[in-house]
Amino acid sequence: MSGIYVHIPFCKSKCRYCDFTSFPDKIGFAESYMACLYHEMAMRGEELKDYVFDTLYIGGGTPSVVDEKYIAMLVAAAKKYFKLKDGAEITIEMNPGTVSAGKIALYKKCGINRFSVGLQSAVDAQLEDVGRCHNLNQFLACAKLLKGENFSVDVMIGLKGQTLADIEKTIEVAAGSGASHISMYALTPEDGTPIYTDYLNGELPDGDEVAEMYAFGVNKLKELGFERYEVSNFCKKGKESRHNLNYWRRGEYIGVGVSASSCIKNVRFTNTFDLDEYFKCIMSNRFPVVDSTQIDERGAMDETVMLALRTAEGLDTAKFNADFKCDFKEVYASALKKNAQYLTGENGRLRVKDEYLYVQNSIICDFLGC
Amino acid sequence: MKQPNKFIRNFCIIAHIDHGKSTLADRLMELTGQVSKRDMEEQLLDSMDIERERGITIKLTPVRMFYDADDGNEYVFNLIDTPGHVDFTYEVSRSLAACEGAILIVDASQGIEAQTLANVYLALENNLEILPVINKIDLPSARPDEAKHEIEDVIGLDASYAPLVSAKDGTNIKEVLEDAVKYFPAPQGDEDAPLKALIFDSYYDNYKGVILFVRLKDGKVEVGDRITTFRSDKVYEVTEVGVFAPHMLPKDGLYAGEVGYIAASIKSIQDVAVGDTVINADNRAAEPLPGYKKVQSVVFCGIYPLDGSKFGDLKDALLKLQLNDASLVFEPDTSQALGFGFRCGFLGLLHMEIMQERLEREFNLDIITTAPSVSYKVNKTDGEVIFVDNPSHLPPVSEIESMEEPIVHADIYSPPDYLGQIMDLCRDKRGIFEQMTYLDANRVKLEYRLPLNEIIFDFFDKIKSRTRGYASFDYELLGYEKSKLVKLDILLNGDVCDALSIIVHEDSAYPRGRTLCENLKEAIPRQLFEIPVQAAVGGKIIARETVKAMRKDVLAKCYGGDITRKKKLLEKQKEGKKRMRTIGSVEVPSEVFMQILKTNDE
Repeated sequence: MSGIYVHIPFCKSKCRYCDFTSFPDKIGFAESYMACLYHEMAMRGEELKDYVFDTLYIGGGTPSVVDEKYIAMLVAAAKKYFKLKDGAEITIEMNPGTVSAGKIALYKKCGINRFSVGLQSAVDAQLEDVGRCHNLNQFLACAKLLKGENFSVDVMIGLKGQTLADIEKTIEVAAGSGASHISMYALTPEDGTPIYTDYLNGELPDGDEVAEMYAFGVNKLKELGFERYEVSNFCKKGKESRHNLNYWRRGEYIGVGVSASSCIKNVRFTNTFDLDEYFKCIMSNRFPVVDSTQIDERGAMDETVMLALRTAEGLDTAKFNADFKCDFKEVYASALKKNAQYLTGENGRLRVKDEYLYVQNSIICDFLGC
Repeated sequence: MKQPNKFIRNFCIIAHIDHGKSTLADRLMELTGQVSKRDMEEQLLDSMDIERERGITIKLTPVRMFYDADDGNEYVFNLIDTPGHVDFTYEVSRSLAACEGAILIVDASQGIEAQTLANVYLALENNLEILPVINKIDLPSARPDEAKHEIEDVIGLDASYAPLVSAKDGTNIKEVLEDAVKYFPAPQGDEDAPLKALIFDSYYDNYKGVILFVRLKDGKVEVGDRITTFRSDKVYEVTEVGVFAPHMLPKDGLYAGEVGYIAASIKSIQDVAVGDTVINADNRAAEPLPGYKKVQSVVFCGIYPLDGSKFGDLKDALLKLQLNDASLVFEPDTSQALGFGFRCGFLGLLHMEIMQERLEREFNLDIITTAPSVSYKVNKTDGEVIFVDNPSHLPPVSEIESMEEPIVHADIYSPPDYLGQIMDLCRDKRGIFEQMTYLDANRVKLEYRLPLNEIIFDFFDKIKSRTRGYASFDYELLGYEKSKLVKLDILLNGDVCDALSIIVHEDSAYPRGRTLCENLKEAIPRQLFEIPVQAAVGGKIIARETVKAMRKDVLAKCYGGDITRKKKLLEKQKEGKKRMRTIGSVEVPSEVFMQILKTNDE
């Protein structure tokens, strides 16, 4: 499997926790930027003409702040320069405050068949606190417009002052909106974001409290028919995000746009994070790549394990052995022995036991380069 | 018989830490034109980074200077800079044996300190002429007359002629040089007699082999001579001799009365001992010079390489340090928790700290050290008497008839304001009050009998913090006394961690066990399972804390681009794990082994 990721680095305003590349003050460059995206795709398409892609993911930032006609042109360009499989999953991220019936109609018309909506919390005060530019009602209105569509809702745990009751309400709102997929992320206070000061001042729930919230959320989601298929991702049967599954199965993907990452033929590379630099490169027909790493065989093996252990399906050891022509049990013998009590292996699949999924870093560590 | 050059003056400087010893030495060198002010690094003689950073002298450092005195003659001064801290008395005694005189620096605002006193007595024992110098007269708080008065009262030296100087400003430095000419005797000896040179220090040079720092008492040594020492039977050919100017400056020969160095392609560090006498292999002197008193280690600790494969590197480093500092002793040791390492003996806590720091800095080693211990005398039920400095080597309780611990006599000098705090501290440390003397209105001397194991723990830090640094203290070993001692074990997840065991007095076992468990609970990172941290005496649990199981460490998001970043984070975490030791099933960071030193009460 392989996927295409397109990054739209514009937003109405920056959320206080946001660590992604987005420029709320540069929306005026959107038109030029979109033109550059088409051009970068043309450049990449030539190089990747042997690939047939399964998914296209338009993420950000907030892709829905950009005029919908550019999005339609973007999808058209992707289809023109890359080979997209019939029935490919085409997702766009949106913010509830930036949509309209017309916008969604055009999205659908151009081939977008999956939507990802950021709700984060059903408590308006919490939305305001983290700097979201929408409220619960706007989300409900957005969900109404998406009725009958295949869409996902993002919710957050670990917000300031958040209670289990708040989480319950948020999950109920998300599930009740008709979503087929819910992502439940814990707030990560990154150094350099405004929310980091809240963290430094001890205003955010600590790790134990977040773990409590997570366990509660997992149960609640399960009650409502959403099964966990990855640490932070839950869905109705068969509604997994194929684009994200590709990441966790260590499939190949090409990233287009500022700050986008790619993994093609065991080389991981990343585009520049600087908007001006991006423009300059594209206009002079150069790839805007700033960082590129060749992954060796062992590195690829480690990544495969690291990513697979995030998922409910776990690692298919027989496939692993065939792909890497080795014996998984032998290569990772010491890590397996040390962590035996945290792992489970049924039907040839190695998984982290449910109760240890949230503390998997220290388990996975043992597998890296062991 | 040929008398040595009568224009040589060999002397050292004795001073309390921070009374301006190294600064005065620098001024003397500057005034004698040894180094120009422009070329001078701040505090030339303290060449080790640690010395400069801490502002203390650890190693003795010799330097040769020329001085044109007012009497019209040119004099050769050999100055040997010496450490001031009580732990380094051994270093001091070595320098003293190479000198005829000593400059005693006294801070004009602070007067004489306890450590200075100890070194003054040492100098007097060595029959050195002592020249008092009152320093820091530039300070507004300087009371030079009181300082002189104190020298006369406390030491009994005539201080009326003591120069009043400011080493910082360079005031009256010439007077010091003139007095050195006048009051210090020229060296005695016979240049025609067979060679006798005292090795007062040495170090290892990668190209020249062992470099011996020597003071020639009799005879001469020249390049090409065949030399040996009294205690060794190996013969070496001298490849280079020279003086300290202050960097090593080769010469054709060294003669009776002089201070300098000898290189003779000595490859093995063990073959030459500080305190031994160098003699000519073809014209052997009959008697060695009186060497040094063999020093007893007072404080012991285990030193282990963080990375087990670096055991050999650690051994080489210790050998090289020992060459430079004969007071360091060590022997191989193993610990279940820490693997292969060494049990090391030191002259005191500061000495231990300095050695640990030098291992890390000069040899680039990452080491783990265990809690310091003293040497206990164990009277076994079968009548055998053994000495144990490693708690994990203590025999089972059933085999111990009684135990004895080293006791010291401590002199604590302090302004009277802090007497209460000091007495409280000494009582907490099982001290027995002996005497109190008012030296003057501002200084009191308190005398206590204290168990040494209470002093090595945190006594020095506490006395400093409770008296805002005003008090100083000095101690001497009195001997062993019976005491109710027990071994306190720490159990992690049910397994005894031998590297954390300590020997404590019965009465402090419970509070120490409590504190340790609390500190360890904070220092041990949460793991995937709950870890009981227990303190036990003789198999009985006396305190317990619990490190709760970790509940969240996952990176919630893992988008495409995050994969590289996430992998980096995990690799970093893995690096951290590598630096940990596994005790039973528990991963313990190396810092944990130092937790044992902490107390919670201040």
